[in-house]
Amino acid sequence: MSLTSFDATGFYALLRREILRFVRRPRNTFVPPFITNVLYFSVFGVILGERINEIAGVPYILFILPGLIVLGAVSNAFENASFSIFHGRWNRYIEEALTSPLSYTSMVGAYVLSSAMRGVLVGVLVAIIGMVFTTVGVAHPFYLVAFMLVITLLFAGFGVIGGLWADDFDDLTMMNQFILRPLVFFGGVFYSLNEIPGIFRQASLANPMVYMVNGVRYGFLGVSEVNPNISLAVLSLLTLAVVAVNIVLFRRGYGLTE
Amino acid sequence: MASAIEIRGLTKSYGDVTALDGIDLDVPEGSFFGLLGPNGAGKTTFINILVGLVRKSGGTASVFGYDVEADYREARDRIGLAPQEFNVDRFFPIREVLEHKAGYHGIPHDEARERADDVLKRVGIYDKRDTRFDWLSGGMKRRFMLARALITDPDLLILDEPTAGVDVQLRHELWETIIDLNEQGTTILLTTHYIEEAERLCDEVAILDSGRVLEVASPDELMDRGTDDIVIQLRDSPTAVPDFAADNDRVETVELDGARLVVTAQQGGLVAPDVVQALDRDGHEIVDLEISRTSLEEVFVEMTRQGEDRATAEVQQ
Repeated sequence: MSLTSFDATGFYALLRREILRFVRRPRNTFVPPFITNVLYFSVFGVILGERINEIAGVPYILFILPGLIVLGAVSNAFENASFSIFHGRWNRYIEEALTSPLSYTSMVGAYVLSSAMRGVLVGVLVAIIGMVFTTVGVAHPFYLVAFMLVITLLFAGFGVIGGLWADDFDDLTMMNQFILRPLVFFGGVFYSLNEIPGIFRQASLANPMVYMVNGVRYGFLGVSEVNPNISLAVLSLLTLAVVAVNIVLFRRGYGLTE
Repeated sequence: MASAIEIRGLTKSYGDVTALDGIDLDVPEGSFFGLLGPNGAGKTTFINILVGLVRKSGGTASVFGYDVEADYREARDRIGLAPQEFNVDRFFPIREVLEHKAGYHGIPHDEARERADDVLKRVGIYDKRDTRFDWLSGGMKRRFMLARALITDPDLLILDEPTAGVDVQLRHELWETIIDLNEQGTTILLTTHYIEEAERLCDEVAILDSGRVLEVASPDELMDRGTDDIVIQLRDSPTAVPDFAADNDRVETVELDGARLVVTAQQGGLVAPDVVQALDRDGHEIVDLEISRTSLEEVFVEMTRQGEDRATAEVQQ
């Protein structure tokens, strides 16, 4: 084999392995977000939503739909990368890739891309569930696609760091429960920033999830509480930075070598 | 002969603990090389540095001329590793695990599948191809570890305790496979606790202890450094212990127990004719003669014991 060019075959092999891992286990990967989102739409959208006035000019169930898509997409992108890498380290089979001639960039690329793919698929699943409960259109397809790609890649990149950092399974649970979920729930999924007091509104603007939720909301509904272009640019740069950190960590063997 | 592995001043420390302490070693291309040493000698650390699972603290290590860190992709592409600890992907049937591993080495999917089937047949577990690793028996797991190391057709095959915990029959089957590969030109680096394995298979062995290379030699050379026992049964008991040591520098001790004479000497096969001649000249009739050669295991135990003594002395100083 030639090692002078991008190792496309090796990259594809690891990408394929990672995709097959989550596709063949729908009970662990797609059924949980399906059930959770049916419950969310039923309780928050239908039962509570009918008692809540319109927000930003749209019915409540429609207002929360983009946020639920973001919640499902980024959670799954993060969980996929962190679990796959940590489980590989825990059972040491990540050594099959580490002892191969795959470049570190290709390894990171495969983990990040496959995890982002799972995030996008779960996002699509949540959108389909939402369509059962309400009628939804797409106001700005470009922004919707761009935000979905960027946020899933970003959280896949965070997941890689989490998977390398974790020492046991409790660490994975902790990251999901104590970092990811608070960020999502205070990220404007279920409420408008205009409805909360000024100081909390200012604090919320430091939460990257606000820009992600509003970006996807802009794609679906054409309404956003922050500038979508600036959000997209900042999130894109952040994604590039996180993936670059991933590559550096792999190259240094952080969490992978002694 | 060119070196498959070239090591100079290789060190690895974990805080205050020194796992490898300035190793120099050359493994010739095409050789069957053994790495012997007690637990904790640094064998696995050494291997893991070659494949990139451990980062060296100092020195250089190259595989077929490629530095294991600067040219890690070229170096790793030439290595097939069967580690002692099982580190196999649990999510997939073993045939797919092999396909993935081949893919990481740049082998296209269709060819990877063909190779997977070939190596599974070669190690005799093709009928288990759709089974996941966890469901294989212990012996099958060892066979699979060899199959995975072979899927990329490596130039250097590293086997870390390949026959640990397997029965005698399987051990011999694995030996045959490995010998066959070596005869076809694959360089083999073998670590083993079974000294007999090194004695039978290796052209050359390095004895490693406390992170240092104590000796590099062929098993025969090492065994020649030990002493053999020439056990002679005479018809009648001699009146005195014959003084063979005066005539032959190789003779170390002579013990007499009735009509049974035990001559301890280096390279006993060379000494025995002189002993027989001397006994004949003195009018003794030999009933039986047996030469008990020193084993590589005895030499190994003696060398590593001396290593321990040296280390203890250094600590005390």
